[in-house]
Amino acid sequence: MLLEIKGLTARYNAGDVLKGIDLSVEEGEIVALIGSNGAGKSTTLRSISGLVANVSGSITFGGMPILGMKTGAIARLGLAHVPEGRRLFPGLTVRDNILLGASNRSGVSRSQMEREVDEVMDLFPNLKRLAGVYAWTLSGGEMQMVAVARGMMAKPKLLLLDEPSLGLAPMIVQQVFRIITEIRSRGATVLLVEQNANMALSVADRGYVLEAGTLLLSGKPEELWDNDHVRAAYLGGLAATA
Amino acid sequence: MMTAVSMRNRGLLYGGLGILVVIAIALVAPSHGYYLNIMMQAATYAIAVAGIVVVLGYCGQISLCQAAFLGMGAYCVAIGTVDYGLPFFVSLAIGVAVTGIGGTLLGLTTLRLGGHYIGMVTIGFQLIVTMVLTNWLGFTHGPDGISGIPRPSLAGMDLSGGAIYLGLCLLFLGAVTMFTVYLKMSRLGRAMQAVRDNDLAASTCGVNVFRTKVIAFAISAALGGLGGGLFAGAFSYISPDQFTFNDSVVLLTMALLGGVEYAFGALLGTILLVMLPEWLRFLRQAYLAVYGAAVIAIIVFLPRGMWGLLMDRYFKPRPMKAVEVAPLPLLARHGVPSEDVVLNIAKLAKHFGGLKAVDEVDMMVRRGSVHALIGPNGSGKTTILNVITGLYVTTAGKVEFLGKDITALPPHDRARLGMCRTYQNIRVFRGMTVLENVIVGAERGGNDVSGTDATLERALAALDFVGLRDVAHLPVGDLPYGHQRYVEIARALAGSPEILLLDEPGAGLNLTEKGEMAELLKRLQGHGMTIVIIDHDMKLIERVADHITVLNFGRRIADGDPKFALSHPEVIAAYLGEPHRDAA
Amino acid sequence: MSMLPQLLFTGIGIGSIYAMVSLGFVLLIRSANVVNFAQGEFSMLGAYLMLILLMSFHVPYFIALVVSVILMGVFGIVFGVITYWPLRTRGQIPVIISTIGAGILLENTVLATYGPSPQVLPGVFNASGVLVGNIFMDSQYLSIICTAFVLLALQYVIFEKTVVGKKIQATSQDRETAGLLGIPVVTLIFGIFFYSAALGGLAGILVAPILFVSVGIASVVALKAFAANIIGGFGSIPGAIIGGLLIGIVETLGAAYISVPYKDAYAFIMLIAVLLVRPQGLFGERVAEKA
Repeated sequence: MLLEIKGLTARYNAGDVLKGIDLSVEEGEIVALIGSNGAGKSTTLRSISGLVANVSGSITFGGMPILGMKTGAIARLGLAHVPEGRRLFPGLTVRDNILLGASNRSGVSRSQMEREVDEVMDLFPNLKRLAGVYAWTLSGGEMQMVAVARGMMAKPKLLLLDEPSLGLAPMIVQQVFRIITEIRSRGATVLLVEQNANMALSVADRGYVLEAGTLLLSGKPEELWDNDHVRAAYLGGLAATA
Repeated sequence: MMTAVSMRNRGLLYGGLGILVVIAIALVAPSHGYYLNIMMQAATYAIAVAGIVVVLGYCGQISLCQAAFLGMGAYCVAIGTVDYGLPFFVSLAIGVAVTGIGGTLLGLTTLRLGGHYIGMVTIGFQLIVTMVLTNWLGFTHGPDGISGIPRPSLAGMDLSGGAIYLGLCLLFLGAVTMFTVYLKMSRLGRAMQAVRDNDLAASTCGVNVFRTKVIAFAISAALGGLGGGLFAGAFSYISPDQFTFNDSVVLLTMALLGGVEYAFGALLGTILLVMLPEWLRFLRQAYLAVYGAAVIAIIVFLPRGMWGLLMDRYFKPRPMKAVEVAPLPLLARHGVPSEDVVLNIAKLAKHFGGLKAVDEVDMMVRRGSVHALIGPNGSGKTTILNVITGLYVTTAGKVEFLGKDITALPPHDRARLGMCRTYQNIRVFRGMTVLENVIVGAERGGNDVSGTDATLERALAALDFVGLRDVAHLPVGDLPYGHQRYVEIARALAGSPEILLLDEPGAGLNLTEKGEMAELLKRLQGHGMTIVIIDHDMKLIERVADHITVLNFGRRIADGDPKFALSHPEVIAAYLGEPHRDAA
Repeated sequence: MSMLPQLLFTGIGIGSIYAMVSLGFVLLIRSANVVNFAQGEFSMLGAYLMLILLMSFHVPYFIALVVSVILMGVFGIVFGVITYWPLRTRGQIPVIISTIGAGILLENTVLATYGPSPQVLPGVFNASGVLVGNIFMDSQYLSIICTAFVLLALQYVIFEKTVVGKKIQATSQDRETAGLLGIPVVTLIFGIFFYSAALGGLAGILVAPILFVSVGIASVVALKAFAANIIGGFGSIPGAIIGGLLIGIVETLGAAYISVPYKDAYAFIMLIAVLLVRPQGLFGERVAEKA
């Protein structure tokens, strides 16, 4: 088991956001976490990365308990988190943004890093063209791609993706999801948080449905498709229109 | 939130109470001596501190030269009465005018820039004023200062007795405090807070950001001058070392300690810090060192000041009482869809350095239609919206709105003509309640409602329209993300726009919520609202759009009705990726 | 007019000090987004530390110099822990105010301990200087100019060309995300606090033989450095250097040709003039807000 979460509770000043959730990710899997706004999806990822102060329960990564560890230390264990809202460094170029994705790895030479930046940029259409541009001048979708590319530079054992399709054009969404499967084929494991439940379940091996801070159900995509409640709430009654 | 009428009643109550307190204090005050001095200092300082509440607390602009304005006011009174023999009140009025004008000029030079600039420049101004006061011997009498400053008499009545003069200062203080309280609830005050919380959004709501900041700065300076003028009369002797940078910091600390967003907080903070030297007297020279440490402690442990702490603890926002609002026709002016062109952009271009973000785009939006703007990421959609609303300066081309060329107008003037928008990354006014956010929208210049009650009703009607009336009293930051989107939409609707520009209203919503958003847009369409919408969700776009413009790399690649645009081969190649399906 | 070359030399010397302090200031802005209004107090403390080591402990000059600069660096970390760390999530203005508080605290602690009378601190070299043409090059001014030049060049290279420099910039722009990427955010920020205070302290030690050691050193140096920063372009490293030199030159010339009592005002008159004509400063600001 690469990632194992047991009884995770998180609270902000307003109250509990996560009310004791259990979740696990096996090596090589793509796991999707779906649910509506405010259900606690992002909070789950932020708790794993050590960004939420008030958490209890247990989180182990590669057998090592990481709850309470500093964000940077968790990243250096081989966990990359592509946060919601892109969060690029606006005053750095696209190239430098992607380069810094390798900050969690030690002992990589500068020239090696630069080579890897080129490789990663090749995975995305048009990214090379933007290499020298300041990140603040990018459009939302371009930023999202740079954010995913930056996450890949970490060569992560586990990649946490928070809403990668947010604000992306349909064609780019398809591309991003192709890249997600590509990442998996290169040996990484992905935990994916998505509003776009259709798309997420179409690439995932397993899915969890989170509602108001508790896990409603989990299972293989087919099982979730077949669940009436899930279909009505998150898949937009797709059966009726497809 | 109260109706405007009950606000006025409450104001009268406060005012009456205030006058009673003034009379009581003046009656029990000693007629001379140390405590009288302390009280006079507190009263005159508190007036200057109220200025900091306005500029920093309401408008979010840091000013580090309040002591300079205090000094300018004091010297106007001193020089006017002693050297030129002018009556006290005339000198006082000159002081207020001089500082008001000084503040305006200082604001005009710097307020287009960010916060840290203003910090620096105000320090520079403070130092220059101190230098002038010290060195211009012929006018200011130099470091020796000016003594023998008389107190006033009015209509034959002698106001120079200690207790009477204190009463006069307290009356001024009461008036200033009331003014400051009311300012916060006024249109101008809301504009200031909107500028503080999000100046871009404020500008597209029709707030003239620059002018609002300058006004805040001028009011603050004039209050400094008023406090200073009364200070001169209170102590009959002034010198340059009373108005240094350190004193500016002391005044700032008073505001912060009490709570810089609250007029009463400023009062509380001033009283405490005027008393503090008395309590710390045993420290002698180390007094100022302790003072510095206190500043750090206050800012760390009391982020919203003492008054803020009290408010948080004892004045939780209450749900609104049911206010009967006649369902104001939100969108009364909009008729049936027609061939009228509301918005016309011609050969529009916007370049960032060498990057052609928008390249010779034409687009025509007709009255009552829902016009979608779609395209791949980086194709220039949001840039076009920013150019249309005036946030970006056009590189070339023309924007016409309601038949008028608006290419050169600033954002707030475009809003004034009836252009309202929402943002991709939500821009609400975080320091304000949901209702206040929407009222700012309703107060758009050029809106068809005016007056406090009508504006409130319009704001409530807009909240009803998006279904957020029951959370109107909450700070907007307490709402979940999806609901903040609706607040933004309500804010735009409350301004009864001629055109509504929506930048990805569906982003970050799940399918159910997207369905609700589509319903809302449908209802707006039913009211005949003219809408420009950017979104990536083709289901949403198909449901609502009458007309679609497709962009790629800043250029228009297709334009027409949805069926035409979405089956256009270039659109499929560049954007949709494969023949369009519902599930995409 | 024969005074002019001599005045220019003096102006560049004093301007180098402003540039050094200004650089420490820029670094804190660019790494931690801290606008430190107590930057001048670093110089004041550095000078006093040096004075204590030399006079009370009779430490040899260069050892005292190294020890004071290192102690100042450590002090910088303590300063950061108190004025910045608790407020790191609350935006710029609260930190500005707490550094103002710290400035008052430091200045008055020193004032209460050592009193207001200025003290004399010896210069780096005993030799008084050299005559080049008709310019007398004072040895202290020469040491200042050389030190400043070396440090500035070094800093520019580190900041703009190395990965560490990029990490520092990333940290300044989005601390949380920098942490997510595994950048050692806390170490970097406090490293900058260390360096910034050490640099300020060094500037204070170098300028003290010219200005005397007094509490007043703090505000004189700091405010010019701030002004230098805005004139050069807020947060810009070359801007800080050019701005500092310009102010040094203008105020030296102004004091010589116009009026001495207003010497300290020229920087701010220049500042307001720059803001009116070219508000983003000579070297502009790089990150603009995108809607």
